[in-house]
Amino acid sequence: MLLAVVASVLLYFLDTRLDYFKPVRATLSTVVYPVQKLASMPDDFVTWFSELFQGHQQLREKIMTLEAQNLTNSVRMQKMQALESENMRLRELLGSSFRLQERVQVAELLSVDLDPFYQHVIIDKGESFGVYEGQPVLDSLGVMGQVAEVSQFSSRVVLLTDPSHSIPVQIVRNGLRAVVTGRGLGEALQMEFLPHNADVRVGDMLVTSGLGGRFPVGYPVGTVTAVDFPQGKSFAEIAVAPAARLSTSREVMLVLPGEKIDFGITYPLQIEEDDLPLLEQPPATDEVVTPAEGND
Amino acid sequence: MVLVRPQHSSVIYITLLFAILLMLVPIPDSLRYARPEWVAMTLIYWAMALPQRVSIGVAWLTGLVMDLITGGVLGIHAFAYALVIYLVGRLHLQLRQYPLWQQAFTILSLVFLVHFIVMLNAPSSFSLTNWMTVLTSTLVWPLVYAVLRKIRRSFQVS
Repeated sequence: MLLAVVASVLLYFLDTRLDYFKPVRATLSTVVYPVQKLASMPDDFVTWFSELFQGHQQLREKIMTLEAQNLTNSVRMQKMQALESENMRLRELLGSSFRLQERVQVAELLSVDLDPFYQHVIIDKGESFGVYEGQPVLDSLGVMGQVAEVSQFSSRVVLLTDPSHSIPVQIVRNGLRAVVTGRGLGEALQMEFLPHNADVRVGDMLVTSGLGGRFPVGYPVGTVTAVDFPQGKSFAEIAVAPAARLSTSREVMLVLPGEKIDFGITYPLQIEEDDLPLLEQPPATDEVVTPAEGND
Repeated sequence: MVLVRPQHSSVIYITLLFAILLMLVPIPDSLRYARPEWVAMTLIYWAMALPQRVSIGVAWLTGLVMDLITGGVLGIHAFAYALVIYLVGRLHLQLRQYPLWQQAFTILSLVFLVHFIVMLNAPSSFSLTNWMTVLTSTLVWPLVYAVLRKIRRSFQVS
């Protein structure tokens, strides 16, 4: 018993206090992955079975709706491409580099229930697919969360609703920046640290602001569902409903790091590379005579 | 004890694995807090019936697997299970004599203990719904007991 107590306490401290214990944990998580996979099998089987026996009519209907959706989407895409190239041109004029499109990788959720006190999910891609800690996770409607722990074949994703998770956002209507934090219960988020006079209305759409550099810019996070200014409290209480279907999505998208999520202005770098005549020349060259001040 | 040689101990591990799977199988969100502590109950049964086979070590390792699977801090479930199995190991002779309903009350307090230790480290607050699992565990204990006893007798696990 004593041994068990000592071992537990030791593990507890190693796990919570030491950062370099992570690889050990990742390895151990890989070991239990088969169990998780096994647990998700009944659900997978039910899905597979119900798909197998879906009627001809149902499948036809599904194809019809998907085709209609595809058509509208491709029309929208055409417009998007035009807008995107225009946007890029304008940004080039401004001299800032900005990526509108990130490459994504699709992963699937393991249908496994975890500890109900944590808002976590397991996805079926891990280190072997290049998943890394802190990688943003999206679904088709918005941001879901980020990767918290990577093992060989699976990763753990912290959802937006986890109380330990915060995400920097921006209101689409007026550009007001804020932080949205999970509340740990159901599908609810809250917007934090906004004063009573903040311009927030019910129905405002929130997108990622890209500050902090972890999440790419402009993905929907949620909509404001309730705004309250309680007397005697310094901050407004703002409830937010997440845009992503956190409890029903099965396919998720991982934003790939290949495209650097770059929202900063980079013209000093570009000038150093090609447009040197405008800048002061280094004294290593022979032209010491021309003073740099005269150039501008 | 006439039989000294352990027999069919793999059955024990299979039931434990099955209990872990039951902890993971998805159920509706509204029922998540009411999920019985299958693993703890399975461990308690085996520790009660065969204290020389399921010891604190087995409980601790099972708890470690649970910690890894549920994604909590390592050592929490391990500690909780080890403690409970220690108590069962001390009390197993009495526990065997109890009628089933009285056993169920012991289970209530033991699962309460497990849940309390796990909750101490959980980020959410102490609300009443979080304790539903203690009640449901108590209610399903007679079933668990009957099923595991059937398994133990038919496979002659010792």
